[in-house]
Amino acid sequence: MIQFDHVTKRYPGSNEALKNVSLNIEAGEFVFVTGHSGAGKSTLLKLIAAIERPTGGTVLIANQNISKLKSNAIPYMRRRFGLIFQDHKLLYDRNCFENVMLPLRINGIFGTEAAKRSRAALDKVGLLHKEKAMPITLSGGEQQRLAIARAVVGRPSILIADEPTGNLDAVYAADIMSIFQAFHQVGVTVIVATHDATGISATQRRVLHINQGELHSNEVIQAADHTQNSGYPI
Amino acid sequence: MNHWLNHHAQAFKLVLTRMRQNTLSSLLISLVIGVAMCIPALFYVGVDNLSTLTHHMQNDNEISLFLKLDVSSENIEQIEQLLSKHPNIQKHRLVTKEEAWQQLQAKSDTNPAIQELSKNPLPDAFFIQANKVEPEALDSLRLEMQAIEGVDQAVFNADWTKRLAVLLALGEKIIYFVAALLAIALLVIIGNTVRMQILTQKDEIEVSKLIGATNSFIRMPFLYAGVLYGAFGALFAIVMMASIIMIFNHSVAQLSDLYSSDFRLTIFDSKLFLSMTGIAIFIGWLGSYIAVNRAISAMKID
Ligand SMILES: Nc1ncnc2c1ncn2[C@@H]1O[C@H](COP(=O)(O)OP(=O)(O)OP(=O)(O)O)[C@@H](O)[C@H]1O
Ligand SMILES: [Mg+2]
Repeated sequence: MIQFDHVTKRYPGSNEALKNVSLNIEAGEFVFVTGHSGAGKSTLLKLIAAIERPTGGTVLIANQNISKLKSNAIPYMRRRFGLIFQDHKLLYDRNCFENVMLPLRINGIFGTEAAKRSRAALDKVGLLHKEKAMPITLSGGEQQRLAIARAVVGRPSILIADEPTGNLDAVYAADIMSIFQAFHQVGVTVIVATHDATGISATQRRVLHINQGELHSNEVIQAADHTQNSGYPI
Repeated sequence: MNHWLNHHAQAFKLVLTRMRQNTLSSLLISLVIGVAMCIPALFYVGVDNLSTLTHHMQNDNEISLFLKLDVSSENIEQIEQLLSKHPNIQKHRLVTKEEAWQQLQAKSDTNPAIQELSKNPLPDAFFIQANKVEPEALDSLRLEMQAIEGVDQAVFNADWTKRLAVLLALGEKIIYFVAALLAIALLVIIGNTVRMQILTQKDEIEVSKLIGATNSFIRMPFLYAGVLYGAFGALFAIVMMASIIMIFNHSVAQLSDLYSSDFRLTIFDSKLFLSMTGIAIFIGWLGSYIAVNRAISAMKID
């Protein structure tokens, strides 16, 4: 589904953010991307979501080479993904309901169908009662969940979340992880970046650990590792 | 098709809501467009009306043939015959030098300069009414008359209308230049207005691009905004023009009554109004198209 082959990414005027990364993510997987700040987690996710293009190597999404996509095909590629950005990127000039409507408008879904789906997405993250509220009046965790609702309303087959539990306390973090878990269970591929292993559940999970742009481990984290990394039982 | 229509309808609705939220600034920009269009259009109406007016005058165009002073009476008769046979001459009238002299003296018995003339300085003359109105046909007729034996000078009586027509043609050219300059100004004004709107919607555009919006999706509401500014601007221009012309017509009526003419400025020139609307809409569309494309490429999300 997602294949990286010797992928290198260098931003103009900086060092390589990703060096020679090869990986393969199958449909339906639940993958964590971990690493220190500046390791290149966000860069990896942006490459997957066709927001950035590699400077070396190839990125294949559903067997399509991102670098070779025509620019008018890129938007349609991006619509396969539900994106939760590290900085939310919520629109603060409109209420929660309208924030969630945005991806539907882009997809050409309007009217009652769109309203129904938006409410369903808000309901899934427990924010239906806040549909008329402005995002700025929401707590950090609620804003994060609003971002999730916006990411899932288009029914993407791949959900990509960049630090979704960033500044949240353990209870909120667990709350959000369980939402991802629910999507994973219905077959959605879930990729979550996090700066440490906090929030990775006790069950077996695949973890891609990045250190200074290099992919270090590409294996399954064991329940034993988890208890060392975090004190939060989830 | 339905999907596509829906997209447009949604964009249109979005723009109307945004405009309602900024009624004052939307009105102001439309007003600016209206004024900028009004100026060349008014001049155009003036020139256009004067052109038709001078055209009317040329209809009763006359050519005067002044004969040589020493022309013989047989020669005059020959010319008379020639004129009466000529297919392009409707009628002609001979005024002999004696008749002219009498008329002049009768008219100017207070003018000592003429009283002092002892000898008749006037030539015999034919006054010709052509049955053609086109300037070219008249011109060739005049040349033909000029060539006749015994004719000293063949002149148009309505020479000044020709000069006016030339001036009007010049005026028309100037109007086109002014209109072109104003069109550029409008492009800048509309482009800038749309650019400001884009700045306020920057976040939305950025997020939309990141989650898969096409450029045309992003452009659409701004293009509609530009088109609507143009349309409202044209509406303003037309209303302003119609009122200004109506005020003018009041004075024009008084003036043309003096000349017992029923000349009035035309108020509803549907061709002019249609082209004004079309041009305004096109300028609105182009201005916002340029602005939004520059904004999208400046955001560098691709
Ligand atoms: N747009 C950019 N232009 C230039 N350099 C960039 C850009 N984005 C990221 N970088 C650089 O690439 C490297 C990796 O950045 P990235 O955002 O992927 O890190 P991260 O692992 O997500 O960090 P964090 O945990 O702080 O979010 C960093 O050194 C960063 O400075
Ligand atoms: Mg990051």
